[in-house]
Amino acid sequence: MSDQHIVSAFDRDLEGIQAHVMKMGGLVEAAIVDASQSLLNQDEELSAEVIRRDQAIDDLDTLINEECANLIALRAPAALDLRMVLSVMKISGNLERIGDYAKNMAKRNTVLVQLTPIEGARGALQRMAREVQLMLKDVLDAFIERDVEKAQDVLLRDRDVDQMYNALFREFLTFMMEDPRHITPCMHLHFIAKNTERMGDHVTSIAEQTIYLVSGSMPEDNRPKATRYEPE
Amino acid sequence: MYDAPQLGNAMDQTTTKISARNVQVHYGDTHAIKDVNVDIDAKTVTAFIGPSGCGKSTFLRCINRMNDTIDICRVTGDILIDGEDIYDKRVDPVQLRAKVGMVFQKPNPFPKSIYDNVAYGPRIHGLAKNKSELDEIVEKSLRRGAIWDEVKDRLDAPGTGLSGGQQQRLCIARAVATEPEVLLMDEPCSALDPIATAQVEELIDELRSQFSVVIVTHSMQQAARVSQKTAFFHLGNLVEFGDTTQIFTNPQDERTQNYITGRIG
Repeated sequence: MSDQHIVSAFDRDLEGIQAHVMKMGGLVEAAIVDASQSLLNQDEELSAEVIRRDQAIDDLDTLINEECANLIALRAPAALDLRMVLSVMKISGNLERIGDYAKNMAKRNTVLVQLTPIEGARGALQRMAREVQLMLKDVLDAFIERDVEKAQDVLLRDRDVDQMYNALFREFLTFMMEDPRHITPCMHLHFIAKNTERMGDHVTSIAEQTIYLVSGSMPEDNRPKATRYEPE
Repeated sequence: MYDAPQLGNAMDQTTTKISARNVQVHYGDTHAIKDVNVDIDAKTVTAFIGPSGCGKSTFLRCINRMNDTIDICRVTGDILIDGEDIYDKRVDPVQLRAKVGMVFQKPNPFPKSIYDNVAYGPRIHGLAKNKSELDEIVEKSLRRGAIWDEVKDRLDAPGTGLSGGQQQRLCIARAVATEPEVLLMDEPCSALDPIATAQVEELIDELRSQFSVVIVTHSMQQAARVSQKTAFFHLGNLVEFGDTTQIFTNPQDERTQNYITGRIG
């Protein structure tokens, strides 16, 4: 299909929106990396930085939504263009939520540095965040390249994140049962793990939107799911 | 699993009103319509879209044999309305056109009174037994045309004295006065302002409960707004035909996609 509109301003509008999504994606990736790094190194300064930078992500979300509303009102997009606008509005929302979770991770770190450290947990959480960040990077590539296969691959990888979360959940339970003084830090760490798992779900949603954008229909929901948690 | 046959489905509630089979139209040496096959549903608005010269108007005019009047025009293939071939020798084009009404791009009221414009068809087809029945038909048609309230006090005034939008609605009232089963509209709103356009579109939606409406339009937004089915024509071919929502969200043919998204195709 031709990728050029007869009205070239239409192309410029669409490219502008897409550029903002990619910029937002970059900021959110950086937020995940830095939030998990600040957790690993108990770096309060970096946590504060992540919290401060979240505003820019929220502003981009607002901007993208405005641009999409304007495009719908002024250009009446159809077919592929319509799907692009619809998917971008959702993707922007997903990115904004992921940014919030990263910010929340940083906030909890500023509390955690005051508490008894839990052995091994920070490393595991960082690996989990790293996996989510890589999935996010790949799904943004899939979006920009309109690559359904790559998006499908990201969908499958969410299971690994779910499994990491389940393992951490059990670990935190045993820590808390061992010593009640571990409850407060473990609750914070558990929320971080849960939020990271939710980030993975938002990445999955971006992958689904990418597939919808390219193919015109949502993927069938048949990807494997790890059990959320196993009651002891 | 049982595979539903491609043609026809017992669960399908809609019935086919117009059926075109291998329709070809030539204007002299020009091949204007190339082997078009399509089934148009009863009580449905079907939009024909496509770039200028793609054959959508030509095909529309085949449905009430308007092309008969053009000497160099040759139509082959079959067009069936309710299963009957309208190109059969026994079919009287005048009777056919009472059954298949048409509204044109430019409002073309007769140089007669508003009343006579609407009464003309019912009179020549003998649809009214007396004056009071004719009055009823005229009022009902003008109401259906959503213009009754504006003209009821001046039915003797000339139809040509109305505004463009009113004239077009008068023409629609005139077209529905003979109780057609199919209403063909060739760009009915291209000369109208947005308010008159909206009134005509509202009217088309109302007419759908009784008629099959087929509308040719250059405004894709209008096709999207008024129709349930859309057919995309390109260089004399029917490229894609489907539910309007599908055509406008997920067209299957690249040519359709390029056209409706305004891309260089």
